[in-house]
Amino acid sequence: MNLIIKNLSKTYSNGVKALNDVSLEIPTGMFGLLGPNGAGKSSLMRTIATLQEPDEGSISLGDLDVLKQKDEVRKILGYLPQEFGVYPRVSAEVLLDHLAVLKGIANKKERKELVESLLHKTNLWQARKKNLGGYSGGMKQRFGIAQALISQPKLIIVDEPTAGLDPAERNRFLNLLSELGENTVVILSTHIVDDVKELCTNMAIINQGTVLYQGNPLRAIEEVNGKVWRKSIEKAELEDHKSEYNVISDRLIAGKPEIHVLADAKPDPSFYSIEADLEDVYFSHILAPEKEAALA
Amino acid sequence: MWYKVFKFELQYRKKRPATYIYFGVLAFVSLMAISTDSIQIGGGTGLVKENAPATIAKMMVILSAFMMMITSAIMGVGILRDFEHKMESLLFSTPIKKWDYLFGRFLGSFVTTIFVFSGILLGFVLGEFMPWRDADKLLPFNFWNYLHPFLYFTIPNLLFSGILFFITGALSRKMVMVYVQWIVLFAVYQVAAILFGEVDNREIAGILDPFAFYTVNNETQYWTVAEQNSLTIPIEGTVLLNRLLWTAIGLAVFVVGYFTFSFNTVRSGIIKKKSKKPEAKSQTNVSIPSINPSYSLATYLKQIWRQAVFYRNYIMKGIPFITISLFGFFIMVVNSFYIGEVFGTYTYPTTYLMLELITGAFGLFFMIILVFYSGELIWRERDVKFSQIQDTLPMPDFSSLLSKFLGLMMVFVLMILFLIFSGVAIQTLKGFYKYDLQVYFTTMFSETLSFIVLYSLLAFFVQVMVNNKFLGHAVMIVFFIAMAVLDNWGLEHRLFQFATNSLGTYSEMNGYGHFFTRFNWLDVYWLGLVLFLFGISVVFAVRGAEAAMKWRWKIGLLRLGRPLLVFMITSFMVFGLSGCYIYYNTNVLNTYQNSEDQEAQQANYERTLKKYEFIAQPQVTAMNMKVEIYPEERDYSAEGVYTMKNFTDEPITHLHLQLDPSDDTQHEYVRIPSGSSIEESFEDFNYFIHKLNTPLNPGDSITLEFKLIYETSGFKESGSNTGIVYNGSFINNQTFPSIGYNAGNELSSDDDRKDNDLEPKERLMKRDNPIGLSRNFISDDSHGIDFEIVVGTVPSQIAVAPGYLQKEWEENGRKYYHYKMDQKMIPFFNVVSARYEVVRDKTSIMVDSLEQEIDLEIYYHEGHEYNLESMMKGMKKSFAYFSKNFSPYQYRQMRILEFPRYSNFAQSFANTVPFSEGIGFMVKLEEDDDVDVTFFVTAHELAHQWWAHQVIGADVQGSQVLSESLAQYSALMVMKEEYPQEHIKEFLKEELDRYLTGRTFEQKKEMPLALVENQSYIHYGKGANIMYSLQDYIGEDSVNIALSRFIDKWGMNSFERNGRYSTTIDLLEHLRAVTPDSLQFVITDFFDKIVLFENKMNEASFAEKSEGAYEVSLSIQTKKMQADSIGYEAEVPIDYWIDVGVYGKNEAGDDKLIYLKKHRFTERESQLKIKVTEEPTSAGIDPLNKLIDRNPEDNTKRVSEKTSS
Repeated sequence: MNLIIKNLSKTYSNGVKALNDVSLEIPTGMFGLLGPNGAGKSSLMRTIATLQEPDEGSISLGDLDVLKQKDEVRKILGYLPQEFGVYPRVSAEVLLDHLAVLKGIANKKERKELVESLLHKTNLWQARKKNLGGYSGGMKQRFGIAQALISQPKLIIVDEPTAGLDPAERNRFLNLLSELGENTVVILSTHIVDDVKELCTNMAIINQGTVLYQGNPLRAIEEVNGKVWRKSIEKAELEDHKSEYNVISDRLIAGKPEIHVLADAKPDPSFYSIEADLEDVYFSHILAPEKEAALA
Repeated sequence: MWYKVFKFELQYRKKRPATYIYFGVLAFVSLMAISTDSIQIGGGTGLVKENAPATIAKMMVILSAFMMMITSAIMGVGILRDFEHKMESLLFSTPIKKWDYLFGRFLGSFVTTIFVFSGILLGFVLGEFMPWRDADKLLPFNFWNYLHPFLYFTIPNLLFSGILFFITGALSRKMVMVYVQWIVLFAVYQVAAILFGEVDNREIAGILDPFAFYTVNNETQYWTVAEQNSLTIPIEGTVLLNRLLWTAIGLAVFVVGYFTFSFNTVRSGIIKKKSKKPEAKSQTNVSIPSINPSYSLATYLKQIWRQAVFYRNYIMKGIPFITISLFGFFIMVVNSFYIGEVFGTYTYPTTYLMLELITGAFGLFFMIILVFYSGELIWRERDVKFSQIQDTLPMPDFSSLLSKFLGLMMVFVLMILFLIFSGVAIQTLKGFYKYDLQVYFTTMFSETLSFIVLYSLLAFFVQVMVNNKFLGHAVMIVFFIAMAVLDNWGLEHRLFQFATNSLGTYSEMNGYGHFFTRFNWLDVYWLGLVLFLFGISVVFAVRGAEAAMKWRWKIGLLRLGRPLLVFMITSFMVFGLSGCYIYYNTNVLNTYQNSEDQEAQQANYERTLKKYEFIAQPQVTAMNMKVEIYPEERDYSAEGVYTMKNFTDEPITHLHLQLDPSDDTQHEYVRIPSGSSIEESFEDFNYFIHKLNTPLNPGDSITLEFKLIYETSGFKESGSNTGIVYNGSFINNQTFPSIGYNAGNELSSDDDRKDNDLEPKERLMKRDNPIGLSRNFISDDSHGIDFEIVVGTVPSQIAVAPGYLQKEWEENGRKYYHYKMDQKMIPFFNVVSARYEVVRDKTSIMVDSLEQEIDLEIYYHEGHEYNLESMMKGMKKSFAYFSKNFSPYQYRQMRILEFPRYSNFAQSFANTVPFSEGIGFMVKLEEDDDVDVTFFVTAHELAHQWWAHQVIGADVQGSQVLSESLAQYSALMVMKEEYPQEHIKEFLKEELDRYLTGRTFEQKKEMPLALVENQSYIHYGKGANIMYSLQDYIGEDSVNIALSRFIDKWGMNSFERNGRYSTTIDLLEHLRAVTPDSLQFVITDFFDKIVLFENKMNEASFAEKSEGAYEVSLSIQTKKMQADSIGYEAEVPIDYWIDVGVYGKNEAGDDKLIYLKKHRFTERESQLKIKVTEEPTSAGIDPLNKLIDRNPEDNTKRVSEKTSS
């Protein structure tokens, strides 16, 4: 059961073009949607999650028309929004049980088992009787995934789940995601490249509402491998380098800027060759159109 | 430093659109309120000008109280903003000091509030110059009249309420708590409102009211028209006290708040949670069991139920709900002490009174809960940011709205059950155990709940459509106002007035009677509409991120499946078809007229037919009637024969007949057997002019025969006939044909007349008008009739009419009663039919030294036995007193008949007194000093057998003195023989209040008592006080001698004997004849002038001269004022005999008069020394309030002991 997105476009009333002719084919398994903040990831996710309407385009899941058969989609959907709140004076256990009823699990015994297993799974068992108002960010996020998993969804959408989590929380969370069945379409949107690298078999890079790249993360790395060069420079040199070379990223290493440059051959001897990783892929795609636009 | 914070706050507010919106709203509402009738709050009436200072003050106080919600928004936000935007941690770490922060913010917000509320000032002032204002109703512009109440009422109100809201916000950091304060203030205001109902408590109410509304009311309660038009509210006494009290409370709150406010982000909780025992760790390696979700109807229902319970818990555990309910309950309990008050005594706490109590106390709170929570529920998920999860749940689109609605309804149902329980509890505590649970449940679950359901669904619809919580609330408030204003646009029909269907008055005699049908249909009608709107709400409800109408419509179309479509079409059909059925009933089967059309019709009647008002017509001398009553069908028919005689000196050629113009009445025939033809007919008014075949010569008689059928068909829009009901019909002869033009059909209020281009109308003719003198005030058709009637009804009921029972029999499954009067009576009779219990007794009076028996009967509803004894006693004592002192009773029987409480009065027909269920029958006398109202009303109505049935006044000014004031006097005298003086005083105090309050609402001009023009505050209220004082001044015996002489001359057959009817001139002549010369001025002052006193005890002290001899020194003010017809008062020189009284204590520690004597006062200030033999406690000038005085409280003062040096 593939999720097929065709020519999806959406312009908000304030003129922001959130989605620009997006077409994607998402097979079962983990799919990473990578893009900077404001790239249109959440708009895309909300649209798939039946919460938002595109101006144009279509989405189908198997033989379901996602935009029209919303009720059917919702039956197999697990959705963790990017930002969500909870009823502060309700405990996780109670709210999960409540949500389970609302997801159609009418059998009380079945529901009890399910809720307990989800609480264990998301490591919330200990805090299950605590009011959600007192949860930390990570706990709340785990609660979010617990509710998304309630009805054995076939389509799971998790929007920026790792933002704001400490490394340990993040690992636990990713482990949980990775356990999800192989027959499920899992879309993970993130601006953190490592999330995708560690989990996904397929990915897309999206920026300013446009899909810049779609494919397998490993193959994507191969495409740029051998074309990424590193150089340590002084702060004062940064601007010069940026105008002279195709700089895809710069970061501080021990207080000194280190730049990555994309080039078919070694630009000059002061550059060192490095093993490309997904981040380089990401930056090369994100920055390339911008550069082109700047040059044009 | 605080100045910077202050300036920053002002800058911030300057940029906020809300500031200007609030200002604009206030200015607009104020402009509309003062310059149009569309929003009516506290405006003056009649002669009080629309911009009279007192009117402006009242309106401004009400407006600023109501708009206090805005204050809470501005002041609360002033401090909560930082918490809501999570700015506090940034802010509190800056070097601002707590004082600077709090004070700066407060002052900034407060100045903004004052600016916003100056919108009221602007609106009012602008309103004065609107082109549509009627110059006749305005005083010259005076800015001070607007500024004065703003400075003294609005600003102090804003100050203390602002502090309260601000400090609450600062301490609780929750907006909800700020709103709760508003409700607290409102509750205090309500308590003041309840207290104000009692004359004795008004001052306390005035001090207590946080909005100062009752403070102003207390101050101005007895202001005459002239005073209202000229005086601003003096800032002294109670008013000053109230202002100081609340300002002080405000400042105290600020001080406490300042020291309590913690300038920290993290607050330590007041209650430390107990640490729980540790739970076992999670086992992350478990597998998630596979499950089988189901999406059946059963699941959906279960989901809806679960959600509904979830929302119910959310509401019921919330602070706003708890507070609102607690205060509603609190007000109900306070109110329960005052239910069913009649003249300082209370009626039994029957179930219908408890229901009035519950709905009275909770009506508004229901509304607040409903409006507030419909917004909260619609926004619940979005407010906690849970909506993106909630909206993707696999539930049908209607289930969210439906479960929210059901959750809200559960809350209300639980509240209702609790209220019923409270009602029963209050009844029990009051020692009343006749709980009518069925009435509780039917009323609360039909009338109350349907109102709630209708408004909730409407509020849901509004919230969904406008998709903005606060705008939604505003729309609902505008909707309420619009509904209230609809009347003024002529859209009075119930089909336009949303959810105004009520069950009507409950009567224990008639239950909810015929009201149910109309209620049910209107309920179905509105339910159809709101269900349709609910359907629309489902279509447009926001689910997901799209809030633009375009997208909601597009998504909505997807939801508009067959079931929803069928639901919407069905509900709309229900709405439409029931609307048609209602229209068919109200406008086709019955006639519907809005009040404007009604007035136009009345004006037309006058314009067309007024010319016939005084043409010579014969007078009815006999009526022979047959009336059939069909209670189940609510029909009746009447056959009658009138005998009419020409009392004039000229032959009469035409007979003018006024038939009942109502469409319910059909006239089968109206004929003159001696022959006539209709010369002119005015169908619109059912007025016909018959030309007699042979003119009626002076002294000759003719007969008129008619049969009319009154048929109830369907139900009416409003004003259904409560005279003919299932049990307790009470019809009088108004629907039967009458002779000639009926001036009673004319428009009476000058305002209405002006709207219809008619000149103002005199209320009554002068006392020397020969036309007025030649007819009595009850009927211009007759000088007295022979009367005979047969009444038929269903066998389970008893039918009664004036006259002596000749025969009763059953025929064709119906029961008939034949009554006949043995002497002439006024042509004013009633027919009553109900399932009665009867209690009988006898009394005897002396007539010409022969004992004559009088049969006494009370026809009452089973279960209403409480006061039968009082009534019997009242009848016996009255007959004894009146027969001895005035003249013998002219009949041999008296019947009191209970009728349903659709009206609360008792009325005296010849030997027959219908008495409403709502008064007398249900009065409960708890303590010895409770005034026995039943006894009094019985005596009053019986007195009318003399004052209306023996002496009938002419149809001129003052005629009500001859009936009502004399009946008041007679009843007071009977009561005086039976009850202690305190009862009389209590009673007169209420009557004085009625007079003093009544004159402030005078529409034309206040008349002296002898010239009263049907002004009940004068002939009842002032009449009772004046007559009581009169007998105090000239002696009860003297008054009675005068009255018995008066009856002797002007009693039965007065017209035949004297050629005219009597007036107050004749009465005063007899009164003056028994008054010594030295007291003649009393008659003049009491009857011919409007005199008020401002008596006051300035100083009072005493010294013990020797054992058991005390000298009391008094410094007394005696001021006599004379008022003109609109209340301009001028002081006139005084030369009066006035009571001086000294009180001591009896053994039980109660006050008792140890000295009471009239002293002559000739100066405004006098000193007096009085010797008494017991230790005095207080002393008073006119301590029993025998004279009309607007401040009776200051007549008495405690005496202080002067240590003799």
